[in-house]
This record gives sequence, C-alpha cells and structure tokens, in this order.
Amino acid sequence: MKSKWIRNILRGLSVTSMVFIFQACYGSPQDMKYDMFIEGLVKASATGEPIQGIKVSLTDTDQYEFTDEMGKFSFYTDLSGSYPILFEDTDGGQNGVFMAVDTVLIPENNSVYFEMLLDRP
Amino acid sequence: MFGLFKNRIFRRFKKTEASIHELNYLFWECTTRCNLNCLHCGSDCSKDSSTQDMPLSDFLLALDTIEPKSENLMVVLTGGEPLMRKDIEQCGREIRKHGARWGMVTNGYLYNQDKHNALINAGMGALTISLDGLEINHNWLRNNNNSFARTDSAIALARGSTRLNFDVVTCVNARNIDEIPLIYNYLLSQSVKAWRLFTIVPIGRAANSPDLVLTNQQFKYLLDFISHTRKLKTIDIKFSCEGYVGPYESKVRDTGFFCRAGINIGSVLIDGSISACPNIDRSFVQGNIYTDNFFEVWNTKFQVFRDRKWTKTGRCANCNQYADCQGNGMHNWYGDKANVLVCHNEKINPAG
Repeated sequence: MKSKWIRNILRGLSVTSMVFIFQACYGSPQDMKYDMFIEGLVKASATGEPIQGIKVSLTDTDQYEFTDEMGKFSFYTDLSGSYPILFEDTDGGQNGVFMAVDTVLIPENNSVYFEMLLDRP
Repeated sequence: MFGLFKNRIFRRFKKTEASIHELNYLFWECTTRCNLNCLHCGSDCSKDSSTQDMPLSDFLLALDTIEPKSENLMVVLTGGEPLMRKDIEQCGREIRKHGARWGMVTNGYLYNQDKHNALINAGMGALTISLDGLEINHNWLRNNNNSFARTDSAIALARGSTRLNFDVVTCVNARNIDEIPLIYNYLLSQSVKAWRLFTIVPIGRAANSPDLVLTNQQFKYLLDFISHTRKLKTIDIKFSCEGYVGPYESKVRDTGFFCRAGINIGSVLIDGSISACPNIDRSFVQGNIYTDNFFEVWNTKFQVFRDRKWTKTGRCANCNQYADCQGNGMHNWYGDKANVLVCHNEKINPAG
C-alpha cells in the first residue's frame, strides 16, 4: 500500500498523467470506459411462452441482439442513464408474428434484467 | 534542469512500478492459426497451424487465480488471428464475466458488421486493427489481394463505435516508409482518431526479410514525421513502446520509454506458457498454467523482467543512456542475454 502511494506521488511529480494508460507494443489500447450489462427475456403476452428470433436493438447505437430459443438476450453496452430499446419481429412468421415495442430502460446499477411481453397483431 | 528532474523522477517511478508489479494487461495467445501469411509476422504463425487453440475453460482457470484483480485488468486476445476462433464472442463474454475487460488485435479480414456487433455485445472495449500501407503495399505485405479492402471495411466499422477504444497500428518498413504521409491522409479521411507506428524487429518470420528493416535515415524520418504530426493534433499519433529513442523520447510518445513487460504485462501463450509480451523470446517463459498457479508465478517469478541489470552487457554495457533505456524493449533480447538485438537510439545517432 505504501509503495502505491509513493508510485502515485512519483507519477504526479514526473508530470506524466498518462503513465497508467499504456498499451503493449503490439497490443490493443486499454479499455477505460464503464459499461452496462443488459439481459432479459421476451415472451408472448397471451401464452407466456418465450419467443425466439426477436431483434432487440439499442436505437441510439447500431447494437442489436436476437433472442435465443429460450427467449433470452444479453449484451454489454456503454454506460448511460437510459437506453431506448426496440423489440422487433424480423423473421416473418417463423416464430409467430408479434408487434414491435419501443421502450426506454432506466437502470439503477450497472447490470439489469427485465422481461418484455409482446402482443400478437 | 526541469527535464533532468523529470527524468530522475520517472526512473524512480519505473523502479517503484517494478516493485509493485501490478498486473494490468494480460495477453492471451488464444490461437496460432491465421488467415493471412504476412511477410513481417513476428509470431510466425500459419493458416494450418498444427497447434490446437487453447480451450477457453483452461484460460479462465488461469484468469481466476488473479485475485484481487486490478480495476482495469485488460485481457488482450492475440494470435495468430483471434477471429479464426469460432467461439471468440463467447471467450470475450466469459472474460468480462470473470472480472476483466478485454480487447483484441486483428488484421480485420474477418471483421464484418455481424462480427462487430457480436463482439461489442460480448463486452469488447478496445480494438486494434493492423494497416501496413495503402492498397498495393498492404496487400503485398499481407500476401493477399483482398486484405486492404477488408481492413478498410473493418476500420469503418470500428471508428463508428462509441464503445471502442480503437486505434490503427502500422508496421513501418522499407517498403511503406515513403507512403507514411499518404497513410496519414487516408486515416484522416476515415476519421480515425489514434494511430500507432512501430518498426520491424527481426524476429519470427520477419527475421527472413532483412530488406524490410528501416535504414537509420528512414528511421529518423519516421520519428520526425511522428514528432511533426503530433504538433498538428489532427490524430493521436505515437511511436510504439518498442524501444528507447533518446532525443525523441518526449516528442513521439505521451510518456517516456518504459518496457512494462513482466512488470504490468503478462501473457498466457498457446501452450499454456506464462510469460510477458508474446513476442518475447520463449526462453524467458516463467511457468505454465497447466502445471503452475498463474498468479503465484506472476507474484514470485519474473525477476528477469523486473530487475534489468543483467541487460547492461554487450553494446549496452557502456551506454551513457542506460539509466533511461535499461536494455531497450524485452523483445529485443534472446535467451542467451548476450547482446541487445536492436538499439533504436543507435539508429538515431550511430556515433553516439
């Protein structure tokens, strides 16, 4: 612990604020951003059955994910105060036909789980 | 006077860092397979590598020995070409779940929209794409006529991401040195924010291509170009940490030279070997995850990386800049420890 204090003082004195942000010669940069883990389950409102193949998109980025056979989805994304999310049925009638839903998710910490119910037309 | 003071403090800082040796950056050589056959490859990998990819579960066991993990512990997937692994998204996702951040170095050939999306979803936070020239030279060096077009698409995807800390690296060599300004213009036109340049070190397959090594004059030209371009503030351009560059130290990088191999940087190599950067001579391996506890090895071995006095030999023995350089980058040493392979400072000032 004492050594870390000394290191921090030396860092300040050497006027090299970037000394903790480094990358190996042949490596990638470091990731210094905070992120958010969003996961959930999409079900049919009428039956409660999970729906596969629903496209879950963050509408303010180009990120998307499709629900699996259990209706589950999950992804990491930039940390933000709110997430506009669009649920769309893009596979035609393959897993039933459902209406799209737009929603805004406001998470309370850096990991969130929620369920979405979709209606048939 | 101030510069001298700063240098002394920085030396002391490096010594303290070596003493603390906090692991912040861990390479995982997850495959040695590659879809290209680059002339300058430092790892000498191949399309049909006989070595199997390391199972994800084996790496995770090693990762889990690191306790406590530093807040920003970064796992960097490297190879070979990491995108050759079919389970690359799963690898990243599990690494993130196990408490580390992760990034990747890629040639970009297999990096398309779907892959980009899947990797971001899996928590990828940093990406480096290699670009070694404009179309003709890049394709020549990469031994593939479609390589530039693929890399160009990959760069367009990566630079558009708000999530990624993204940069382009260019391996500068005798073939592409004259088009460095053109590459710069290309990167500006692509809105790339960060560009890192390094030179060919005669290791791996590159050892068979001495004609690609920069002359002293070309090397100085490169450093002058970086120094000049940094002043323009149009792109975050820097010389990599591959070596100590004497009078250019404060001009071509954000910080002074500090080879952090084995001090903050470790690696798990394809066969389970525990080392520092993957391009360091394999005789410096410190253990193996299949027989040793990774973090115990990190904490109790690696002396050869943390106390570099042994490098004061050969042409380093009487160098008046040894205190700042300390034997150059560790990848410039073979296991016999007889002499440094490349002295960057000597290239700048041959008589010095």
